[in-house]
Amino acid sequence: MKLLDIAIKDLLRSFRSAFALVFMFVIPLLTVGLFYFAFGGLGGDDGFDLAATKVQVVNLDEPGSEYGDFSAGHMLVDLLESENLSGLLEVSEASGPARARAAVDAQEAAVAVIIPADFTGAALGAGSAAVELYQDPTLTLGPGIVKSFVSQIVDGFAGAKIATGVAVEQLVEQGVSASDAEALKQEINLAYGQWATELGEAHQDGANPLLDVQSTGDAGEEGTESLTQKILSTTMVGMMIFYAFFTAANASESILREEEAGTLPRLFTTPTPQSTILGGKLLAVFVTILVQVIVLVVIAALAFGVAWGAPLPLALATLGLVVLASSFGVFLTSLLKNTKQTGIVFGGVMTVTGMVGISSVFTASVPAASDASQVAHTLSLLMPQGWALHGWRVVMDGGGVSDVLVPLAVMLALGAGFFVIGVLRFRKRFA
Amino acid sequence: MSTDTAIRVQELHKNYGDVYAVRGISFDVHAGEIFSLLGPNGAGKTTTISMVSCLLEPTQGDVSVVGHSIRRDPMGVKAAIGVVPQEIALYEDLSARENLTFWGKMYGLRGSALRQRVNQVLEITGLAERQKGRTGKFSGGMKRRLNIGIALLHRPQILIMDEPTVGIDPQSRRNILDSVKEMNRQGTTILYTTHYMEEAQELSDHIAIMDHGELIAYGTHDELVEIVGEMDRITLMISAESASVMERWRTTDGVHQITAEDGTLNLLVDDSNVVLPRLFESATQAGTRITSVEIQEPNLEAVFLHLTGRALRD
Repeated sequence: MKLLDIAIKDLLRSFRSAFALVFMFVIPLLTVGLFYFAFGGLGGDDGFDLAATKVQVVNLDEPGSEYGDFSAGHMLVDLLESENLSGLLEVSEASGPARARAAVDAQEAAVAVIIPADFTGAALGAGSAAVELYQDPTLTLGPGIVKSFVSQIVDGFAGAKIATGVAVEQLVEQGVSASDAEALKQEINLAYGQWATELGEAHQDGANPLLDVQSTGDAGEEGTESLTQKILSTTMVGMMIFYAFFTAANASESILREEEAGTLPRLFTTPTPQSTILGGKLLAVFVTILVQVIVLVVIAALAFGVAWGAPLPLALATLGLVVLASSFGVFLTSLLKNTKQTGIVFGGVMTVTGMVGISSVFTASVPAASDASQVAHTLSLLMPQGWALHGWRVVMDGGGVSDVLVPLAVMLALGAGFFVIGVLRFRKRFA
Repeated sequence: MSTDTAIRVQELHKNYGDVYAVRGISFDVHAGEIFSLLGPNGAGKTTTISMVSCLLEPTQGDVSVVGHSIRRDPMGVKAAIGVVPQEIALYEDLSARENLTFWGKMYGLRGSALRQRVNQVLEITGLAERQKGRTGKFSGGMKRRLNIGIALLHRPQILIMDEPTVGIDPQSRRNILDSVKEMNRQGTTILYTTHYMEEAQELSDHIAIMDHGELIAYGTHDELVEIVGEMDRITLMISAESASVMERWRTTDGVHQITAEDGTLNLLVDDSNVVLPRLFESATQAGTRITSVEIQEPNLEAVFLHLTGRALRD
């Protein structure tokens, strides 16, 4: 009973602290709220109101006569300027490469697409050429989208080129003369060019589009998560985990604060076992994080439409996060001599482990950053916050109970380890 | 241990490595009395009562509190005592009532008994009208009163008070001393530490004087004062520091002890009426002028000076 009395007293004090409340609830929600506003979350039901990326295009492609009317460069420009992409890209043609790069440098455009002179020849014939993407280094999302589209076209040509090359080799092996095979290759290339041109024209008419870019509203109806929603969701879970660990450290610090204020020694003079006193304080840390997580989950779902996943896996992920964050806070606090050290240790350790642990949040939703995302994910699993994030994302990606068991087991095991070390250190300290 | 012994301290030691905080002290506190541990800062008073209240484990020795050993039955000891720490130990973000209710629960009170006792303590401490106010906004005196009130919640047999009047105004100090006497009158045994000689003198049935972790004197006020016999204490200030006048006074008939601190000279003399003219004469011969004189009858300050060669305020 005394254990509960101590926990209730600590909770009462925590939730009366304006600083603690701001840290626990306001800052995580504010951070996600900024993303929400940045992506036009208040703009209505259209959802994806991401500002169009300004693109400067320079088409230097000059196809030879052997390719007829087909121009791969022209096709790429048509694609970028297509109606379907008008919501995402604001394309204008520049007079030359220097002018396009200058526009990016002056931040008048997010990215410049410079198509080389021999692009069609490289796409359909021999040789190689590179489409230059010159982007604003401070931006990732818009240039990433452009890169994605350009890559699709270039990859298509490369695939066709490989296919015709293989076909020619096999024909030669089958006894067809090299000159006939080469003529056939030219014919296939021309046919491919013709097909691609017709596809582009059909695309301009809005039929059989090469790319099908769907709005978030449609995506929701079709059960596909929108990019905006994904960014908001991952940001929300990242912020929640980051600040849950901070809250746990701050709540655990109450042991040191009470020691310095004299109330902890005074508690030790009452007929209350030391284990009850420490147990009560640890229970308060646990409940504080639990309340924080529940409140953030509910508010984020209501305010930002974050889809957290199925209830049971979500409950398991919550359990893992609460246990791990609480025990890590207790462990870290047990290493400190006094509250003067908390600023450095909490600020340093929590920030570093937290940022590494949730780093994949900042790369996972960016099309151009898939490699970085994988690295970030691997690194994050070296941190307790990383395992918490992993577990939550499994649930948010639609994972079931069996999917969340592994990250949950790791969280509970880490939590048990941190908890035992922290409690042993405190028991020794107050023995 | 006789039935009227509330606390028995036996050969108590506490050391931190090579630093000896308490060196083998022993004394008895009788049930129903006020017992003072008197000594300057750093004498070992707080360390001693920290061991008595089970906050510190002794390096050696034992303490028995109403029959419970601090080593074998600390919970029994804790149930019998109420501790008033030197520093105010309250939750400043809780109200006075919330503080008392929480601490009452820690002493095992529940339900109506708890509510009733909280109300009584609020009345005793004069905080009934401010019971809902955050204690962080209380004055220093109000916090002190609440700090004491917490220790009274479970009606302890023994109240341990560690310098409860440090750093407070004279009026609050007076109130605390009166309340200590009142609690004692109602039957509570009180173990009180102080470095104020006049507090120990006013309150105590028995006094133990501590210095450098040792018990250097023990007894009633009168018994202790007898150590210095009929000697008076004279405090002098002279116009200029003079080694020669110190030497002259040291050999003056009737002067037993002389110490100099911060430009003030403390002398223990047989009879100040007889010795004082001799001191003036010696000062004149040494070319020094006495600028102020204060004569005190034999008291605990003189006892401490006699035993240690230093003033108690150090």
